[in-house]
Amino acid sequence: MLLTQQLANGIFLGATYALFAIGYALVFGVLDILNLAHAAIFMLAAFVCLSVVLAGYPLAVGMLVAILVAGLAGIVLDRVAFAPLRRRNAGTLVPLISSIGFAIIVEAIARGIYGVNDHQFPSLVRQASPIVLGPVTFTFFDVAILGASIVLMIALAYVMRSTKLGREIRAVADDRMAAALLGIDIERTIALTFFIASALGGAAGVLAGLQYNSVVFDMGGRIELKGLAVIILGGMGSITGAVIGGFILGITETLAVAFISSSWRDAIAFGVMFVILIARPAGILGRRALRTA
Amino acid sequence: MLKIVALTCALLLVATPTFGAGKSIKAGVVADVSGGAAVYGVSQKNAYLLAMDDMKAGIINTGGSTLTFDVGDNATDPNQAANLFQRFTTDGSVIVLGPTLSAEAFKAQPIAVRANIPVLATSNTAPGITRQGPCVFRDALSEEQVVPATVAKTYAAWKYKTAAIIYGDDNAFTKTDFNVFSDEMKKRGVNIVDVETYHTKDVDFQAQLTKIKAAKPDVLVLGALFDEATKIISQAGTLGLHVHMVGGNGLNSTKMVDAAGQGAVGAVVGAAWFIDNSYSGNKAFVARYKKAFGSLPDQFAAQSYAAAQVVAQLVRSGASTPSAMCDGLRNMKISQTVLGPIAFDGNRDVRSAPVILKIVPGGFAYF
Repeated sequence: MLLTQQLANGIFLGATYALFAIGYALVFGVLDILNLAHAAIFMLAAFVCLSVVLAGYPLAVGMLVAILVAGLAGIVLDRVAFAPLRRRNAGTLVPLISSIGFAIIVEAIARGIYGVNDHQFPSLVRQASPIVLGPVTFTFFDVAILGASIVLMIALAYVMRSTKLGREIRAVADDRMAAALLGIDIERTIALTFFIASALGGAAGVLAGLQYNSVVFDMGGRIELKGLAVIILGGMGSITGAVIGGFILGITETLAVAFISSSWRDAIAFGVMFVILIARPAGILGRRALRTA
Repeated sequence: MLKIVALTCALLLVATPTFGAGKSIKAGVVADVSGGAAVYGVSQKNAYLLAMDDMKAGIINTGGSTLTFDVGDNATDPNQAANLFQRFTTDGSVIVLGPTLSAEAFKAQPIAVRANIPVLATSNTAPGITRQGPCVFRDALSEEQVVPATVAKTYAAWKYKTAAIIYGDDNAFTKTDFNVFSDEMKKRGVNIVDVETYHTKDVDFQAQLTKIKAAKPDVLVLGALFDEATKIISQAGTLGLHVHMVGGNGLNSTKMVDAAGQGAVGAVVGAAWFIDNSYSGNKAFVARYKKAFGSLPDQFAAQSYAAAQVVAQLVRSGASTPSAMCDGLRNMKISQTVLGPIAFDGNRDVRSAPVILKIVPGGFAYF
């Protein structure tokens, strides 16, 4: 029972990391920059959903509005923090700092509006009984976040491989100059990439807020480092790698608690990652997976 | 003639209970009005606001002096607590009350000690708080005072043989809970079948709770503050871990059931105060607090209000400087407060009896 339940715990935790990391990986794959404002958008979406629910609307409406707002915030992020620097060929480090600045501003606004206290969804919204399946117990939100990460990963893979937009994104990721010569609107494609990535981050924020019933201005900080580790482990820019990395980290953390010690949870999880990265320095699925997807 | 005047003046001084009357005296308060421990800090702030109203209304007697509590919010941040202590040691405050959490106290109180400003801690329960300086007092019962009584009473009631403990290993208060609970239980022959840890601000406790569930303890001990405690209780319920729960002061909030759900009902906590106690002025304090803030006070509010009563008593007796406040606290025989009659022992810790409570929907009841 212990091992089965702990594996389930690890998979559910890993799904949270994976869902968060998909958007991270998408932006890195296209622009070669780390978007450290992704965690702020994760938090923003959770607060938007909470606010809509507290205003009396159904949870589904709250989730849709939150994901839409997160996507739009991604476009704003690109226009404000990245596009001006892109036009000036500012390299990779300056946009990184720019994204940190954007994140700090968004967090400050959230802190100003909602304060620094932990907020909970109304009990009516979370009034779901635990689901017991054989030796495993979980909640609706555990399944939702697992399902969302798998469905969104498949959907994203489909979009990337089989749609015009996907081909344009991959072309921009591969060679921006050549893509422009082929008639692709680079800025529009990048904006759409940010919309998709941020909407995914927003979905992760909403589901994580519901899963742990905790929405607070610095909630992105809890997952940011894990998300970064996950995309490095999975292979920078690889969507599938991000998902695999998320599950590896989640399961490793959980098994570390189960069979070694909870005090060593993070140290063991990151230790395992070191070992994997020593064997495969480019990550599990390599660096250019998005471009060859 | 001169003798008559001198005698008259001496008689007036002896007769009046308001020696030092008319002075304006300020006390600094450091509380977690926001942040993770805001659930405690807001209660503390409310208590000081009520105390100031009660002084104006003559319910608390300051002997004619004006006593002001300047409440600073340290946002559950030890560094911010230190900044506020710095401010209150240089702005004319005669005493500093607080901060809310022990971890903050260890960072901030040495600043007041160096500046020779007395401190009255109202909610710090970790060991060593008063050992920081010769003028650091507290009217909060330490976990070392409360937990043994909690274990004694729960052990007598439940006759448990095994226990598991989960505690935050990066916080002085939660580590104290772990140490004292495990020591007291071991003394009674209780087998500690599992010990799990977490870090402050963690939200996922499922791995630890799964392990605890597999260990099948009779009792789960929570060395946790409000935010983590509510999530642990909630996730324990989801995992089907239904055992007796017992905790320290971190569970001491009437909002536990709102945040953690019905799983919190029945959890036992040791406390320094109970809403229905019959000590002088307690019922009136509860009624005025509810009228002013729309909710019932908790232990944190009561301890802060009691601190305000103590400081007012010192002001009434003429203390208007930091050194006089320190001497007053050291020599205070007894103070009638909403916590009951209190005094300080040689270690500057409060002498009063703990009460053992259980969480019920909307509040607490005697266990």
